[in-house]
Amino acid sequence: MKAVGVIGVVVAAVALQMAFARFTVGGRWSIDLVLVGVALIALKWGPGAGVIGGTLGGLTQDALAGGTIGVGGLAKTIVGFFVGVVGSQFIVARPVPRMVVVAGATVAHRLLMQAIVSAIGLHWAGVSWLGMLSETGLNAVTALIVFQSIETVPALLRHRPMRRSAFGKRKW
Amino acid sequence: MIDIRRRTTFFFLAVSLGHVLLISAQVQTKSGMPLVEDLAFGAFARVQGVMSGIGDAISSTWRNYFALRGVVAENAALRAELGRLQGQLQAETAISSQTHQLEQMLQLQMTVPQRTLAARVIAGDPAPGALTITIDRGTADGVRANLAVIGPGGVVGRVFGEPQPHAAKVQLLIGRSAAAGAVIPRISAGGVAIGLGVGEDPPMHLQYINKSYEIVAGDTVLTSGQDGIFPAGFLIGTIERAERGGGTTYKLVAIRPAVNFSHLDLVLVVLDPPPSGGAGK
Repeated sequence: MKAVGVIGVVVAAVALQMAFARFTVGGRWSIDLVLVGVALIALKWGPGAGVIGGTLGGLTQDALAGGTIGVGGLAKTIVGFFVGVVGSQFIVARPVPRMVVVAGATVAHRLLMQAIVSAIGLHWAGVSWLGMLSETGLNAVTALIVFQSIETVPALLRHRPMRRSAFGKRKW
Repeated sequence: MIDIRRRTTFFFLAVSLGHVLLISAQVQTKSGMPLVEDLAFGAFARVQGVMSGIGDAISSTWRNYFALRGVVAENAALRAELGRLQGQLQAETAISSQTHQLEQMLQLQMTVPQRTLAARVIAGDPAPGALTITIDRGTADGVRANLAVIGPGGVVGRVFGEPQPHAAKVQLLIGRSAAAGAVIPRISAGGVAIGLGVGEDPPMHLQYINKSYEIVAGDTVLTSGQDGIFPAGFLIGTIERAERGGGTTYKLVAIRPAVNFSHLDLVLVVLDPPPSGGAGK
């Protein structure tokens, strides 16, 4: 069940990311929904799941992006592991703390990516602080929406059949 | 039983290593070496550096501390010996310096035609800026007011006020109210050398030198003997600079004194004043 959940979240995140990517290519704003998905996996199922989710999501992104395969995978694996550790060590059950964790994960992920790219290219590529800020903000807002939805939607779904059955009893 | 968190950590490390290997398979460094090999070499070099540093630190600790337990007592003995020798050296240096000064004074005394009396400086300025010294000779030795006082370098000043039986106060030539008749022998130009006091550099001026004289830096200034205090021919100093002055008919001439006034130990009191009368300023 956990594996299916991890794979499902990764696939959904990659699909959504590709759908949104065409609106953000070349612009100042960027969003990494796969990273949000990895953070969601790590917070929900722990560091092991975070590692798997990060590996799958990162490698998929690398393969689709056409660059060096493993760069995004390594960065997301590291981030997934440590987000999972944070989720298991601290109380981050509410949406807002989780949003903060995602924001921190975004910054760490971007810095890791820059570091790995620089290590491969043997030069420091530099960091676009505006790009990092926009990505952090968008990822955090997205995470807030996703986590809030995860909390509220199941409750709504649980309540709807009860109302429908009551209505049905009265009708029938 | 394996701790699940430890197992997760191992899993994370293994996956990360897999990523690195994957990246390394695709990327080569500038030197042509595969990235993983380059990273391993770099990491191993760092480990070797750290190990070498630890080894050096341990070796240094052993050599500098544990192997030197007996050095503390030896060090204390050597310090005591060093202190004793430093004191002895200072005493020898003082004796040498005094002997040198006495030799200079003796030579000066032999070259000065007037009768002179050697005196030791026993005190300095009583107040900041006073520019006076006290010598260990007084009326009991024949010292009187307004006698000239000279040193190995040149003119020091004059006996100031009435001396005590065994002490006298000497006004230095660089004091604000001190003056001496002076002459530049190269051009035979006469004037008055006056002190400017504390804080002036140079601390003396030569006044009443007519603008028509061509004075150059480095000209020597001697006592003229016209003031009735300082015998003629003693060195006052050298010209440092000469300016034409404003609306006056005299030049502004700065003198660098020949005597190092900050290091006076022995002086000579000239017991025979010059024949021409007149009081020093």
